Amino acid sequence: MKIGRYKAWIYLLPAIVFLALFMVYPLIDVFVYSFEEGYNSASGTSYGTGFYNYSYVLHDPYFLQAVKNTFIIVIITVPLSTAIALMIALALSSIPKVKELYQTIFFLPYVTNTLAVGLVFMIMFKKTPYSDGLINGVIKLFGGSSIDFIDGPYWAKMFVMCFYTLWIVMPFKILILTSALASVDDTYYKAARIDGTSRFRTFTAITLPMISPMIFYLVITGFIGAFKAYSDEVAIFGTDLNSAGMNTIVGYVYDKLYGDGGGYPSFASAAALILFMIVFTITCINLLISRKSSNV
Amino acid sequence: MDKSTPNLSAYKTGVIIRRTLLYIFLTICAVVVLFPFYWMILTSVKDYARYNSEYVPKLFTSSPTFDNYVSAFREVDLARYFMNTIIFTLITTGLMMIVIVLAAFAFARLEFKGKTLVFTLFLSLMMIPNELVIITNFVTITNWDMRNTFAGLILPSVTSVFYIYLLKENFEQIPDDLYKAAKVDGTSDLGYLTKVMIPICSPTIITILILKVIECWNSYVWPRLITDDPDYFLVSNGIQEIRENGFGRENIPAMMAAVVVISVPLIVVFIIFHRKIMEGVSRGGTKG
Amino acid sequence: MIRKRITAVAASLSLLAVSLMMTACHGANSSDKFEVPEDFDPDKSYSITFWAKNDTNKTQTTIYQNAIDSFEALYPNIDVNIRLYTDYGKIYNDVITNISTDTTPNVCITYPDHIATYMTGENVVVPLDDLIADPEYGLGGDCLRFDSPAPDQMVAKYMDECKINGEQYALPFMRSTEACYINKTYVEALGYTLPDVLTWDFIWEVSDAATAKNPDGTYVLNGGNTMIPFIYKSTDNMMITCLKQLGADYSTAEGDILLFNDDTTEVLQTIATHVDNGAFSTFKITGYPANFLNAGQCVFAIDSTAGSTWMGYYAPLSDLHGNDLVEFETAVRMIPQYDPDNIQMISQGPSVCIFNKSDPGEVMASWLFAQYLLTNEVQIAYSETEGYIPVSHMAQEDPEYQDYLSHYGEISNKYYDVKLQVTRMLLDNIDNTFVTPVFNGSTSLRDSAGAIVENTVKSIRRGQSVDYEDMYDDVSAQYNLNQLGGNFGKKASLGPLPKEARILLGTLGTAWVLIAAYFCYTKVKERK
Repeated sequence: MKIGRYKAWIYLLPAIVFLALFMVYPLIDVFVYSFEEGYNSASGTSYGTGFYNYSYVLHDPYFLQAVKNTFIIVIITVPLSTAIALMIALALSSIPKVKELYQTIFFLPYVTNTLAVGLVFMIMFKKTPYSDGLINGVIKLFGGSSIDFIDGPYWAKMFVMCFYTLWIVMPFKILILTSALASVDDTYYKAARIDGTSRFRTFTAITLPMISPMIFYLVITGFIGAFKAYSDEVAIFGTDLNSAGMNTIVGYVYDKLYGDGGGYPSFASAAALILFMIVFTITCINLLISRKSSNV
Repeated sequence: MDKSTPNLSAYKTGVIIRRTLLYIFLTICAVVVLFPFYWMILTSVKDYARYNSEYVPKLFTSSPTFDNYVSAFREVDLARYFMNTIIFTLITTGLMMIVIVLAAFAFARLEFKGKTLVFTLFLSLMMIPNELVIITNFVTITNWDMRNTFAGLILPSVTSVFYIYLLKENFEQIPDDLYKAAKVDGTSDLGYLTKVMIPICSPTIITILILKVIECWNSYVWPRLITDDPDYFLVSNGIQEIRENGFGRENIPAMMAAVVVISVPLIVVFIIFHRKIMEGVSRGGTKG
Repeated sequence: MIRKRITAVAASLSLLAVSLMMTACHGANSSDKFEVPEDFDPDKSYSITFWAKNDTNKTQTTIYQNAIDSFEALYPNIDVNIRLYTDYGKIYNDVITNISTDTTPNVCITYPDHIATYMTGENVVVPLDDLIADPEYGLGGDCLRFDSPAPDQMVAKYMDECKINGEQYALPFMRSTEACYINKTYVEALGYTLPDVLTWDFIWEVSDAATAKNPDGTYVLNGGNTMIPFIYKSTDNMMITCLKQLGADYSTAEGDILLFNDDTTEVLQTIATHVDNGAFSTFKITGYPANFLNAGQCVFAIDSTAGSTWMGYYAPLSDLHGNDLVEFETAVRMIPQYDPDNIQMISQGPSVCIFNKSDPGEVMASWLFAQYLLTNEVQIAYSETEGYIPVSHMAQEDPEYQDYLSHYGEISNKYYDVKLQVTRMLLDNIDNTFVTPVFNGSTSLRDSAGAIVENTVKSIRRGQSVDYEDMYDDVSAQYNLNQLGGNFGKKASLGPLPKEARILLGTLGTAWVLIAAYFCYTKVKERK
């Protein structure tokens, strides 16, 4: 079996080499950076070794703003997108005839370039001195007053952000849930119908438990994805997210590296590691919950 | 509903009302999904001066123009960004397939010391967000003198632990007997992999292909860092460039024309293969 | 499975901890200090990169290209590769990232502010004093294959702007200032006469008057939906110039920050009042002043003199299409003043610096090209593209340039009236221009000066009130200002953790305690 063992390593070699170079080594490096206090690229010097970077980042109002924004996006979009996706998927499964057409339409955003569509959203919501923009036109039609969604009050910007995030993440969820619903064995439903079980009861007693693993899967990936939000924000508010007040944690990492106050891999690394801790914690909690409920 | 007196026509009306409500709901959702696409195409064919004079934007245009498409291609080197993205996508996806198929095969079929340990280490890497590692990858790629090269764009993304995991699970479902039979026939491991395993697992492989292509087409963060020479810009960088300093000033119709041009290829591919793609994604998938 | 995974992560974390102890710190890439080589061979082959800036003006691109072509004709062995930017900030960010990887360009157009930051790395930027004085290859040197100005033929004020701590680290390339472009027709329609020197009081008064509306919501002045009487392009310049004119503090020469003072707050309050009534906006929030001016939607547009070819009904460059243009008489004045007897305007424009390389010959080749940019050929051609002036007396006094200036009042793109007016205005006022102190981080301070104006305008437009002290804190954090000046290289004392940070850490901690408790609980349960 000597040759076999040797052979396995050859098969694994490319993956190991790439992972070592572009995942493992950088991780070590980021870790080191995060303890080099105030290291900046221009001078290539730091003050010393310690926790100063973490402390600096945690004191930075822009980081805290970014954390807040990220959490709001996560808390709003993850449950909402899953719930709406479930509603749409249920609706789809009861109209078998044109299901495919609708399904194809709903899936379309998945294959589009998010930056490109972000630009479209930006223009639809934007209010300029030249023009109120489309959405404001609609609001006015119903007698409201126009709001600048892109440069206006915080809640308006957050609304656009969440709306766009929903638009981006829904297709995948709808698709997964539709196929999960389709895989539920029809005999359960038939039995329920014979028993005269109400629709709602059928849903909570049969459908929901059957597709719960899929929902958990979507929630976990949704959390991880939403915490990494960055390019959707850039698409709508441009690269200067800090002055738009719409920065996210990943955006903060970027700005500390390459933005206007940039050149500080030390602070960027500390922020990135804090993000990692948050994501790691939430993933662990999610896994615990899903394991517990699947054990029951 | 009162079940003891089955009133058929009332029941039917109920069904019809519910159906209608469902259709209305779905159609509203579909409009929300499709509207940005319509808006993007509409704006792209509006005349620049006319667009600027609309204080409240109009939902249609009586005189479509294609000038914006001309200026999109003339003012920004869109054609080149396209070629770059295609090259980048093809090479990245191709290389990644080789790397992950080999690794998944090793984990699924071959026995070796430390397999569990290595596999656990691989899995733990899955938890690490990509954003964490770009800082150093940037320095590494620069030290290798690969800024503004395709190699620099491609190398960091040719492997994915998640896809290895996905493929390994799939490979393991192939019955052991097939492998033993092949061994008896004297087929080599590599031959078995290419002749038996890959064809059997082709749906999963296609899924991964599609996911990776979409990922490549949309990738923005890494390309933005590693390229500052427009000769190597991808379409995503192109969009951001157009937004920030393309066309001199805010020429929104031309911007939208560029956006249409960039979005069309994936949409066309999607419409042609929509059944396969959706089937594949729902089988395997996650995004990113 | 989960537990295995968590163990694995714990294992890899401890692995990281070990590696932390073993890994050396990230050191600086320092080259040797540059010294003028004794035996420079101008016929050896070199390839150098030149990062340049242009103002979305295609003629400028051509002029760079021509300069490179004629330089390469003189020195066929030196190959110059150009990369164009439209934004100084981008050049700065790119240089910073490239210093850490030792891939800086050879010759680079920047602001002196930026150079001060580049210089925090050791021997990153080449000091030019020895090179300038070199009898063979220095300014106006004997062995040059072109005529460059001798040191005393340069405008001394501009050379001084490129000095940091008394040493010359850059050469001026072009200079401009800001000007106020005015729709004179509107000013007169409102019943005012333009004075020769604008004051802030005048400009605010006229702008307020221009916001009058008809009963149907359109503006009296232009009958349209849009009217922003006063737009300032660069808000950082606005703040800096106001403070200078008021004699107020901005920063010390050493880099101690004095920006956040009572005068600043007062200036911001004035701005806030006029944002509130719709009299004022900025480029970042509204868009290019030129577009509003030319569309008859703006009365006073303040922009760089290097933007003059966009201004006015006959402007050679424009974004607007025929029927959006409104015919009006364009007037040009100096930017508004607080004290008309003590005129102050900002001096700005690109400078050129040279980055150090391990091969002194390569640095010499870069120096030759940088110097070539000071020849009359390049200076005159480039300054004619926009409202720039040449930086050497040699070029300013050249008959060709004097001839260009004399074509006053002609209607043609090359001799565009507005452009010539602003150019002459700057030439007459070189002594009234000023620059702010240069130190590491002066860029961030400048950005902050702009940010406080932008933030004020944004908040007022949203209908919120502004808490100036809070805003100053936010801006200092955004631009890492507490890392600058006397604090540079020292840890700032940060005080207690803010509430949000404590909540974040607290939540994470509690989560882990709960996870741990749950684990213990399941373990105990399993044993049973």
